[in-house]
Amino acid sequence: MYGGLDVSVSGMIAQRTRMDTIAANLANQGAILDSSGKPNPYQRRIAVFMPGDPDAISADGKKLGVHVGQIQLDDAPPKKVWDPGHPYARQVPETDAGYVYYPNVDPVTEQINAVDAMRAYEANVAAAEATKSMIAQALRLLA
Amino acid sequence: MFISDLLNSGSLPVLETAAQFAGRRQTLLAHNIANLSTPNFQPADVSVKDFQASLAEAVDRRRKQGGDGAPLDLKPTREIEMKAGGGLALTPRTGTGNVLFHDRNTRDLERLMQDLAENTAAFRVATDLFKSRLELINQAIRER
Repeated sequence: MYGGLDVSVSGMIAQRTRMDTIAANLANQGAILDSSGKPNPYQRRIAVFMPGDPDAISADGKKLGVHVGQIQLDDAPPKKVWDPGHPYARQVPETDAGYVYYPNVDPVTEQINAVDAMRAYEANVAAAEATKSMIAQALRLLA
Repeated sequence: MFISDLLNSGSLPVLETAAQFAGRRQTLLAHNIANLSTPNFQPADVSVKDFQASLAEAVDRRRKQGGDGAPLDLKPTREIEMKAGGGLALTPRTGTGNVLFHDRNTRDLERLMQDLAENTAAFRVATDLFKSRLELINQAIRER
């Protein structure tokens, strides 16, 4: 049963990591430069989950549970905004001249994903609470 | 031995098996909940109905064999197995079968949470009854 707690905790960790990527996407929705200052808009991050949790302590937790397999970059093209006076307006290619590239982050999608992550986190908390009450119940047999 | 006879008598082994089953199943349900947003994940469960049928059959067989003192012999099903040490091993094969979502996951959150609540309640019933049986034994020992 302690394995059950491990499993729920792995779910909570995974959802929190997902929430972190969502927060990063929202925070960077206006980042048109990369960290070295080049005009290279931020790419949306996606946390991809995989079943099983190699970091778990118990054998059950390793076999079951969930973990963030990888954090992928969204390859969707950047949003192009017509702003010829902008210092980072594109010159090349010819067809995009005068456009500024913005990150491919859609705040609405991110908000929805945030709500989804929050609810999934809550579901894991509920499962952990149920497991906890069962453990307490079993331990009370001794006393 | 006197003590093992005492603890293998009456409904105690049945309650113990029921609690064990609920405990093991809790891990599976937690697994399904943890993987709510995992792409390609198909939640699987063990059939409670099969377990209850198997348990009922084992109880009947025990009654016929020698009543109270006989050991409980749970026949393995396709999902449930008695381990040598006395624990239960569950192999989930029953799909929960909701519609296929866009990420190829067949999650069904409401049903999962319902299963979780029912499983916790089943565990509570088994342990509460177990506890009252133990108290009964205690009373008998203390002669009051």
